[in-house]
Amino acid sequence: MSAVAAERRTYLVLGFATTHQALDAERVLLECGVTAKLIPAPIELGGALCGIALRVPAEKSEEAENCLSRASLPAEATVRMEDY
Amino acid sequence: MSRPEGPHSNMTYLDHAATSWPKPAPVVDSVARALVELGGNPGRGAHALALSTSRAVFEARRTCSELLGVADSRSLLFQPSCTVACNVMLKGTLRRGDRVVVGSMEHNAVVRPLARLKAEGLKVEIVRADSAGLIDPADVERVVRSGPTRALICQHASNVTGTIQPLGDLADIAHENGAILLVDGAQAAGHLSVDIDSIRPDGYAASGHKGMLGPPGIGLLYLSPELEVAELIQGGTGGGSSASSEMPSHRPDRYEAGSGNTPGMTGLGAAAGLLAEKGDSFREHSSDLMRQLHEGVLDIAGFRVLGPPPEEPRVPLLSIVHKTIEPDRIAFLLDRDYSVAARAGLHCAAWAHESVGSLAGGAVRLSVGWTTQAKDVDRALCALREIVS
Ligand SMILES: Cc1ncc(COP(=O)(O)O)c(C=O)c1O
Repeated sequence: MSAVAAERRTYLVLGFATTHQALDAERVLLECGVTAKLIPAPIELGGALCGIALRVPAEKSEEAENCLSRASLPAEATVRMEDY
Repeated sequence: MSRPEGPHSNMTYLDHAATSWPKPAPVVDSVARALVELGGNPGRGAHALALSTSRAVFEARRTCSELLGVADSRSLLFQPSCTVACNVMLKGTLRRGDRVVVGSMEHNAVVRPLARLKAEGLKVEIVRADSAGLIDPADVERVVRSGPTRALICQHASNVTGTIQPLGDLADIAHENGAILLVDGAQAAGHLSVDIDSIRPDGYAASGHKGMLGPPGIGLLYLSPELEVAELIQGGTGGGSSASSEMPSHRPDRYEAGSGNTPGMTGLGAAAGLLAEKGDSFREHSSDLMRQLHEGVLDIAGFRVLGPPPEEPRVPLLSIVHKTIEPDRIAFLLDRDYSVAARAGLHCAAWAHESVGSLAGGAVRLSVGWTTQAKDVDRALCALREIVS
């Protein structure tokens, strides 16, 4: 166990209908200069989406959402989460 | 070009229209890598192995889409074979009472699903090809206009005569008359530079293991984003949609229920990458060999070649009929005495043989591919000469 608790960070988690779309969104975000991490989709996104989600730092939220909507790949659902 | 290894390494393989052999090294490596390194189940789970596998499938789909001119890779579906792809595009779009117009050169992958649909109330109108296996757009237009038509169905290229059908004209005819165009591209993909965005079919089925040079057990189906197609198979698609008992409406998941053939998908992706780089030179190579083969056969007395004359384009296969010796006898002797692999019979396409007058005995089909060399064609021609002398 680390003696110093890590600083808690806030993220935007983006959910997609299919794994294909989530991976496509990861690629598109990278092209926009936003590094997103693939994570297991949290239950907070709702039950109807694919099993993986993308996580971007909260401060990159707007940039990420704009980038995806320009590519016609908007997330089906988003949720803000801490240190997920 | 690499020669095959193993017990059949001395064979002259002229059956590429049945399946390409051997497979290119990048395809073999990709299949092996999928089996050894990418053991996760794509779309199922989010652990590192499942993610790497999902990524490999995603990339394979994009590479195939780029090769075939599909703008949105979600519209390109992995299927277990071209046969399954044909079944999905036909049974997913056609209903009892619909009327369809179909060319007479079709393979059983189309003929048999249509026969089943016909028994259930589909009206099927057949447009006869000419003696070279070509479907005349004027004939098609006349039949399409003679009644409300739901779909025009035509292959891209014939597995019997090698004839390349005028798909651009057929797409215009279909769309001007409110019909969809459904295409069996089994013998075209890879052998022709297929550009789906410019052909504008509503459905296009392709085989992964023939001209595409991928492994067996994999095919592709393009479905136009606007076309509603019922899925044939219901089942698991992974992820959170598991909560619903209904199939998701999203592509590709709706048409890919069940754990897929990951080595087949990634192997086909590797093949598509290779074709993007070398497809033009493979095609040029094949057409040189076809000229050599076609002219060589015409020099041997007693043979009739099915399909277009040597100066006209065709996919790289040549079906021949001898005036006295049966095709199955010729193929047997080619194999036994000369180690030349060719396929005799009706090639799962009785309609096509009927169209070009070879239904009674079928034909011997010789088909070249990326590893065939001029000396292989010479060897086959020498063997044919000896067999008929
Ligand atoms: C014209 C044509 N259509 C469909 C098929 C079926 O392809 P597959 O056997 O890969 O399903 C073939 C295979 O020979 C073919 O030649």
